[in-house]
Amino acid sequence: MNPIISVRDVTYAYPAAGHHAGTSEREALLNVSLEIHEGESVAVVGANGSGKSTLARHLNALLLPSRGQVRVAGRDTREVIHHPEIRRTVGMVFQRPDDQVVASVVEHDVAFGPENLGWPRERIRAQVRAALEAVGLWEERLRPPHMLSAGQMQRLAVAGVLAMRPSCIVFDEATAMLDPAGRRAVRELMRDLHQQGLTTISITHLMDEALEADRVIVLHRGEVAFDGTPATVFRRSEELRALGLDVPTSARVAAALRARIPGLPEHLITVEDLVAALETLPRSAEPATRRMDSPAELDIASPHPAAGSPLIEVTDLGHTYMRDTPFARRAIRDVTLTVDEGLAHGLIGPTGSGKSTLLQHLNGLLRPQEGAVRISSFDLTDPACDVRAVRRMAGLVFQMPEMQIFEQYVGDEIAYGPRLAGLEGETLRERVRWAMTLVGLDFEGFKDRLTFALSGGEKRKVALASTLALQPNILLLDEPTAGLDPGARHELLAHLQQLRAPEEGITIVLSSHQMEDIAALCRDVTVMSQGTTVASDGVSAIFGDADRLEAWGLAAPAAAEIATELNARGWSLSQDIIDEHQLVAALTERLAE
Amino acid sequence: MESFEFQRYVTIGQHMPTGSPIHHLDPRTRIVGVLLLMLAVTFAPGLSGLVVALVGALILTGVARVPINYALKGLLAPLPFILFLVALQVLLGPTMLPSRQVEEAALAVLWHWGPFTVSTFSIVSGLKILLRFPALILIITLFSASTSTAETVHGLTSLLRPLQKLKLPVQDFVLMIQVALRFLPLLAREAERIAKSQASRGAEWGTGRSGLLRRARQALPILIPLFLVSLQRAENLAVAMEARGYRSFSARTSLVQLHFRPKDAVALSGCLILAAVMILL
Repeated sequence: MNPIISVRDVTYAYPAAGHHAGTSEREALLNVSLEIHEGESVAVVGANGSGKSTLARHLNALLLPSRGQVRVAGRDTREVIHHPEIRRTVGMVFQRPDDQVVASVVEHDVAFGPENLGWPRERIRAQVRAALEAVGLWEERLRPPHMLSAGQMQRLAVAGVLAMRPSCIVFDEATAMLDPAGRRAVRELMRDLHQQGLTTISITHLMDEALEADRVIVLHRGEVAFDGTPATVFRRSEELRALGLDVPTSARVAAALRARIPGLPEHLITVEDLVAALETLPRSAEPATRRMDSPAELDIASPHPAAGSPLIEVTDLGHTYMRDTPFARRAIRDVTLTVDEGLAHGLIGPTGSGKSTLLQHLNGLLRPQEGAVRISSFDLTDPACDVRAVRRMAGLVFQMPEMQIFEQYVGDEIAYGPRLAGLEGETLRERVRWAMTLVGLDFEGFKDRLTFALSGGEKRKVALASTLALQPNILLLDEPTAGLDPGARHELLAHLQQLRAPEEGITIVLSSHQMEDIAALCRDVTVMSQGTTVASDGVSAIFGDADRLEAWGLAAPAAAEIATELNARGWSLSQDIIDEHQLVAALTERLAE
Repeated sequence: MESFEFQRYVTIGQHMPTGSPIHHLDPRTRIVGVLLLMLAVTFAPGLSGLVVALVGALILTGVARVPINYALKGLLAPLPFILFLVALQVLLGPTMLPSRQVEEAALAVLWHWGPFTVSTFSIVSGLKILLRFPALILIITLFSASTSTAETVHGLTSLLRPLQKLKLPVQDFVLMIQVALRFLPLLAREAERIAKSQASRGAEWGTGRSGLLRRARQALPILIPLFLVSLQRAENLAVAMEARGYRSFSARTSLVQLHFRPKDAVALSGCLILAAVMILL
C-alpha cells in the first residue's frame, strides 16, 4: 500500500534567532524519516521541545522542510500549487479550542474550509450537515461557538476539518485543555473516525492516550527515538523516562508487580494484558474486609501532615459576572467549602463548573456577592477587610501562569512581588533565592537567565516561584500541571508535596482535570458541578465511586479504573484504591501466598 | 466588587441577539445605514441637527431593544475625554477660527481671563461636541449589538465585491475586520486575567489605592503579557486558518446567501431621510 504521508530526511530549523525562542540554536527536526499509511492510527509522543508540533505542521505544508522532502498522497509539499489539495487531504485540530474558531456561528465555522476550497453552496451545505452530525453538534449549528463547552468546541474543530472530506486528521494535543468528559468524547470520536477508515495522527503528552494507537513514534530533540507498536515502545520504560516521558499507568503497575511477583510475565503494557495475566495467577482467598485508612498509609513518600483547624471557610457563596448588565452570567451559587490548615485540598469538576471563580474568592480577587468567605481571621464580606493582606496570605497561580511573565530576567520576575511589598537589597535577594529553591530552580544558575528562552516546565516554575516569593500561607493553584510533559509534571508535583510538608506548612487548594494529580497530593477533595459544590469528602471516597464520577462528567484516576476492571472480574479489591502504590500493594497482598 | 470586569466597559463589539426588527434586516442595510448616519452626525453643522441625531439614536436603541442604560454605560469610559474636549472648545474655541469669524465671535464675549475667552459662540460649539460624541457612540453600540460578526463579514464581503474586480485584497481586509472584532472581547477577558494575576502578586488593582504614577507603573506588567498573548493568539489563529486552506485571492464561495427585502428598502430610506434632516437643519 502506498503511504499517505512520506517524510524523507527532513531537517527543519526555525528562521531568525529569537523569533521562536529557544529553538533557534538547534534544529527543531533533524533527519526525520517516516511513512504513514492509509488507515493507520499513530501517536506521536515526546517531551516539550522535542519537535512534535513542528513535525505535525510539516504534514500539511504549514511548514516546509529546510532539507529533505515531505509528500502527501504523492504530492511534494514544496509545490505551492499543491497546497489546497494537501490541506484538504490532511486536516489539523489544534490544542486551544478558542484559537481555531474563525466564525461566530457554529455552522459558518464548519463551512470555512469548504468555502476556501471554492465548493458550490449546495455541496458545502451537505458537507457541513454531515460533519456536524458526525461529531454530534447538528443541534448546536446556529449557536455562537463561545457558548459551547471546551469539549464541544474541540468537536466543532474536528467538524470543520471533516467537512473538507480529508483522508487524514492530525490532532495536535487536542485533548490537553479538556476536562475528563470532553477528553473522553474527543477520544471516542478519534476512535470512530479511525474505524471509518480515516488515518489519525495524535500528538500527545498522555501515555494512556498514546496506548490507544496502533503505532507510537517517540521524538527526542528533533529526532525519531523509537517507532513501533505500543507494546514494543512502552517496554523501554527506563529509556523513555530518560527522555522526560513515561509509560502508561498499566505498564507501570505491571512493572512494579513483577518486581514482587516473579510469576507475572514481562512487558505487560495494556490494561487488558495486565488483567488477563493476573487472571492466570493463583490468588489468595478474599481477605477480611478492611478499609485502608488513608492513601497516606501506603504512599510513604508523601504522608499527609496532621490537619489543623479550618483555615478557609466558604458558606453559601454565589457570584454573577457582569451583574446588572444584559450579559449577566451566574457562575456559582450555594458553594460551601472548608479547608483545614496544612492540608492539600482538591477541586474537581467539568469546565465551567465554577472552580476558577471559587478560587478567585479565596484570595479576595472577587468579593462575595452572596454568602460569606472567611480566610483565617479575614472576613471578606466586611467592606473594611484589608484585601491586600488577604492576597499576601493566599497566593493564586492562574492556569498557564507562564503567559503572564513580563520581566526579561528570571530574578526580576520573581522579585516583582516582594519588591512591591517593600523588600530590597540582601533581604530581597534571600527571598528570591528561597522561592527559587522551593521550586527546584538553582538561584545562581537561573537568576540571570532570559525568561523567554526557558522551557515550558521552567517557565511554569518561575511563575510558581514568583507567587511563593510573597511567602503566602495558602497557595491556590488553577490547573497547575496542564500542558506539561510527564517529566516536568512529576517534578512539579514533587515540589508541591514538599510545600505541603510541615516544614513549609503551606495549605494548598488546587483545581485539576488530572485526577492523578489530585490523588497524589490531596487528602480531601470537593466536587463542583454546574456552579455549585455537590460533594466534599476524602479522595478515596470520591474516586471510589466510578458511577457518580461519570455522572459529574469526571473520571477516576487510571489506577482506580484498573481496580474497577479487576473487581468486575470478581477480585473484590478495596474500593479505596486511587493510586498505583495502593493498587500494587493490594494486588501483592492478594497474590502472595 | 467589579474592579476587574473590564468587559463591563466595552459595549462596542458586544453582540446582543434580542431579535428586534433591526436584527432582522439584511446586514448590508445595517452597514450602509450606520455609515450614512455616522457621516451625517460627523458633518451635521447645526445644533438642532445634532439634537435630532441624539434623539434619533436613542429611539433606534429602543427599537433594537438594547437597554438604554446599558448603551449609555458605554459612554462612561470616554466621558472624561469628551468633557476635556468640551472644556477646551468652550475656553479656547474662538482662537482656533478664521479671523473673520473671530471678530463675530468676539462680539459675544461673555467672560475673558488671560488666554481664556468664553463667548456664546464657544458655548455652542462645546454643546455640539457634547451631542455629537454620544450620538456617534450610541450608533456604533447599536450596530455592534444588532449585528453579529458573521453578519458584518458577510455584509462587507458582499458590499465590497465590486472592488475585487480591481484586484484589491477585499477578502483579506474583511477577514482582518472579522478577526479584530472577534478579538476585542477576548482581549478584554485576557487583560482581566492578567490584571488579576498581577494583583495576586501584590500589584495594586482593585484595592482603591492608585495614584497616577502608580497606575502607570501597574500598566507595564499588564501591557507586556497582553501584547505577547495577543500576538500568540493571532499567530495560532492564522495557522489554524491556513491549515483549513485559507489563502488570499482564492476563489472563495459562501454558505450564506443574503436577501435584500422591501423592509430593507424602507429602513434604508428612513436612514437617508434622518441623515438629510441632520445635515440640512
